[in-house]
Amino acid sequence: MFDMVESVKRAKGKGTKVIGCFPLYPPLELIHSFGLLPVVLWDMKEGVGILKESDRHLQSFTCSVARRLMEFVISEEGSLLDGLMMYNACDTLRNMPEIINRGLKEKGRTLPLLKLHVPMVSPNQTNATGYLADRIREMIAEIESTFGVRFSLERFLASVRLYNKIRKLCQEMEDLVAAGKMSYMDFSRRIRNGYFIVPEDQLSELENALKEAQSGSTKNIPDGKKIIVSGILPPPDALCAVIEQSGMKVAGNDVSSQARSYGYIPKETDDPAAYYADFYRNHYPCTTILYSSDDRLKALNALIEKRGARGLIIVGEKFCEYEYLEMPFIIKMLEQKNITTLQLEIATDDDDNVEALRTRIEAFSELIR
Amino acid sequence: MADEKDDTRELMKTASGKRLTQILTEDYLNVHRKASEGAFVVWVAIVVPVELFKGFDNVVFAVPESHAALSAAKGVGMLQCEKAEHSGYSMDICSYARIDIGTMMSGGKDSPTFGLPRPHLLVSDNNNCSLLVKWFDIYHREWDVPHFILDVPFCYEMQKETDLRYIVTQFKDLIKTIETLSGQKFNIDQAKEALKNSSEAAKQYKRFIDCAVHRPSGITAFDSFVQMAPLLTSRGRPEVAEHFRLLADETEERIKNSQFPVPNEKYRLLWDSIAPWHQLRKMSTRLAGLDANIIAASYTSCLGGIEGSYEFIQEYREGDPLESLARIQNFSVCPYGMDLRFKAMSWAASHYGIDGFVFASNRSCKVYSVMQMDLQKWITEDLGIPSIMIDVDHADVRKYNEESAFLRIEALLESIDAGRARAKI
Repeated sequence: MFDMVESVKRAKGKGTKVIGCFPLYPPLELIHSFGLLPVVLWDMKEGVGILKESDRHLQSFTCSVARRLMEFVISEEGSLLDGLMMYNACDTLRNMPEIINRGLKEKGRTLPLLKLHVPMVSPNQTNATGYLADRIREMIAEIESTFGVRFSLERFLASVRLYNKIRKLCQEMEDLVAAGKMSYMDFSRRIRNGYFIVPEDQLSELENALKEAQSGSTKNIPDGKKIIVSGILPPPDALCAVIEQSGMKVAGNDVSSQARSYGYIPKETDDPAAYYADFYRNHYPCTTILYSSDDRLKALNALIEKRGARGLIIVGEKFCEYEYLEMPFIIKMLEQKNITTLQLEIATDDDDNVEALRTRIEAFSELIR
Repeated sequence: MADEKDDTRELMKTASGKRLTQILTEDYLNVHRKASEGAFVVWVAIVVPVELFKGFDNVVFAVPESHAALSAAKGVGMLQCEKAEHSGYSMDICSYARIDIGTMMSGGKDSPTFGLPRPHLLVSDNNNCSLLVKWFDIYHREWDVPHFILDVPFCYEMQKETDLRYIVTQFKDLIKTIETLSGQKFNIDQAKEALKNSSEAAKQYKRFIDCAVHRPSGITAFDSFVQMAPLLTSRGRPEVAEHFRLLADETEERIKNSQFPVPNEKYRLLWDSIAPWHQLRKMSTRLAGLDANIIAASYTSCLGGIEGSYEFIQEYREGDPLESLARIQNFSVCPYGMDLRFKAMSWAASHYGIDGFVFASNRSCKVYSVMQMDLQKWITEDLGIPSIMIDVDHADVRKYNEESAFLRIEALLESIDAGRARAKI
């Protein structure tokens, strides 16, 4: 079984400095181009089981993403990190840097923290390209001075190409899931593990997984009614199993740590400012990229059509108000198109409580025409 | 369960209370009347620089957050929340948003102001609350109304020049947007005049809240919760500056005449959160019975300051109003980084002579609440002042338990007594 902590330790063992990045869409390529290893601190339920440390700092109405992030950084495993990087992803996450600093201070530790403000204005409203370019330049200078490294155009371009290849392979892998050649649970595990391994290794692992699935050597995936899953994090493995057992097949996803992360492949360039202007402006729609969420329904409709899906399961992250506020409208519009929807909530104890959802999931499956 | 009643009645009996009612009533009536006569209507987040709208001859604005607070204070918060919940909006969503959505869905039914006139433009501002962008997006989609997002970098420290320029650019784009949509021309001199009025109002408001320095305090934080309303909904009007001047005069006069809200004040407390709108009268009355007074709140005291300062430093006389308005985006009606909030609360503790802190953990406002556990530890350890944390929702009475809250408050008062006893030994 994959062990995210061991994986990070292996990278550290080779002398690589590790930067823990706050979700959701940090500038991974830029960090990687300096020879640093960016790890995105989400979907960590396998590595962060208990929330003992986090509970001393965050109220119980904080989402599991923030609580697990906090737990990992200030617990013993967090000493694997050499730095942190955050951007303005949501109201909760923007409060976290100072809370983490306090938590680390109690443990007698400190970590350099890089902050980036990603413009959240609509490109049709205000041209923020110059502002973002300045922020990226500042970040480059800060990384150089903090970690004693130098920026290189060539290395940046190489990192861009590497991450774009990974995105492309993730898209191909999703196609295989839709075609029934790989289970969604397997797919989810591979994507999740990818956040904690060196991207060069992730590329090889994805290539191998694709070859294996294409050759048909993977176990036969049971067919079922096609559905799409949506949320910040994918359904936990136990929930995936209940979905399959209820006669459904996940044929596509609109999950932040999955399709929303690899759904758009930016143009390759050695200019970080131009790259990130494209990366954020044309990002796959997400509730947290404020100006993009108008396109979310359009993207969901396109995905549903492409996959021939008849249902949508929203795997709501408990206490993520961003998602909550978008859902009623999306559900209303999809139901007008006869797409059946089911809204679930997952939290920190999601794997243990999944049986409580079984009846609802089975009933949902029966409703799909 | 705690009940919901009109919690503003007692506070409105004073002369300043009546004048406040008049200003607010006028504003709500005006916005409805002008909207019906064809004015361009903008819905805004509380920190949007509404002084810019005064640069137009026929643009009016409404503030859904303030309307939600008013609804909660008038006892209809839960009713409106339930309407939103029945339409699929989670109970975990901010209660301001649920009240507003519930009001909108029922066409203003049960609202103390008959709702708000339908907007031509929505302007959100992620400075104090990014969630508000999502909330306004609902109207943007349901009604096909344009939504302008003001993107303001979060305030962890002193504002950077690049951030100020970025904000000014957005203000210019906002002006252009309104010109295009409304067909009206912007007059910068009118905006300057409005900004002067706002600046004077904030200055006089500071005089008012400084009446808490006196022992016993001349005010309660509950007075400031109610009185802050025109700073959010009616900024730019000369009447507002005049109201606060008279309010400060009246309050100072009451102090001279030894009229105090808690005459036997033994405990001077500071509140850290948004107001518990459904509990204004009940909480202040019960506290007074214990000789305790919440004399200040981080929510209201920071108005008029910048970056963790409680002092008035937003004076505007001349110069580019856009720059001045961009600069004070870093004041925020509260949520800024923990370091700045600690600075502000430490200063307040010393300035007002605070005996204890009440941290109101408010699940409806994560940006305000997520950090309070560390802030509480920091404040208690560094200042040696006792504190408690209670669970409150600013506008949904169902998420508040009076007895649990007062059990803790009484424990805080005992802790203050114990500290005093130790100090005597």
